[in-house]
Amino acid sequence: MYKHSGSRGSGAPGWVLQRITGILLVVVVIGHYFVMHSDPASGHTYAAVLARMHHPFWKMFDLTFITVGLWHGLNGTWGIFRDYKMKPAVSLTIYGIIILSGIAFWVLGVNTILSF
Amino acid sequence: MKVTLRIQRYNPERDSEPYYQEFIVEAGDDKERILDLLHQVKWKYDGTLTFRRSCAHGVCGSDGLRINGRNRLACSTLLRDVNYKKPIVIEPLPSIPIIKDLVVDMSDFYKKYEAVKPYLVNKSPAPEHERIQSNEDAEMLFESAKCILCGCCTTSCPSSWSDENYIGPAALLKAYRFVFDTRDEAADERLDIVDTPDGIWRCHTIFNCVEACPKDINLTWHISQLKKRVAEREM
Repeated sequence: MYKHSGSRGSGAPGWVLQRITGILLVVVVIGHYFVMHSDPASGHTYAAVLARMHHPFWKMFDLTFITVGLWHGLNGTWGIFRDYKMKPAVSLTIYGIIILSGIAFWVLGVNTILSF
Repeated sequence: MKVTLRIQRYNPERDSEPYYQEFIVEAGDDKERILDLLHQVKWKYDGTLTFRRSCAHGVCGSDGLRINGRNRLACSTLLRDVNYKKPIVIEPLPSIPIIKDLVVDMSDFYKKYEAVKPYLVNKSPAPEHERIQSNEDAEMLFESAKCILCGCCTTSCPSSWSDENYIGPAALLKAYRFVFDTRDEAADERLDIVDTPDGIWRCHTIFNCVEACPKDINLTWHISQLKKRVAEREM
């Protein structure tokens, strides 16, 4: 039964951001493919990664990638879970796992990128 | 010609779960409607078969059914619209409680519909004749105003199947109908109602509602306009 029980904040920012990050990801993923995977022999060598990561542009590129990718992916995951009717405790647990894993992966990724 | 109908039956006083029963009926040609064949079953073979119908001409929206796996109106579906060489499977609209045979309980559907205030709200003094609207403004509403509340859209929506609290495409279409009406003054109230966790954001543009709508309304487009209006307001 539909209950207009009051909003926990508008869903509009999340909806708009999901689309903006989606567009950004198309650009960043294509860039990532050309840098890393179109020529796997050179893209993955330690020397190539080291040289690239000393450049501020590639640091910013990877920071953008991890931020946008994590946000888009985890927000989408939460959206899928949210499509199902859940008990509040289950919903809160899943939401907590998504938030905590997002923070953990972001810190790990940013720490790795900035260590170069 | 002979046509076989495979009809889902369910009598809550007798049956523990729904089952299918086949009837072989006589059809004059392929322009006969599914509703005519259902009438034939009820009037000639089994008077206990229960289904809704009223106008029988695609206006009242009473006879929304699942015919060969697709939500349609029995009165607007001709034999030639389906594969009648095989048994035609006729079921009640999915995902809502069955009262008996092909009759479903639409109470929840109407509650969601009522939640969006499906009427004009204008508290300013009424003019002497009518509240004037330009042709361009009226044209924005024509398609959404064609809805006959048959429920084919909402019961075909996977988001409705997975979350019974989801307000559904029919109610969202009606919200559009009044939010975009230049004579209406309650757009913000309606946007508050649809901008909830079980509201407009559960629509993932799956387009099942568009495929199901017997009045050819592009519900997904209207819901997208409503999303944009909410986003413009909030950001």
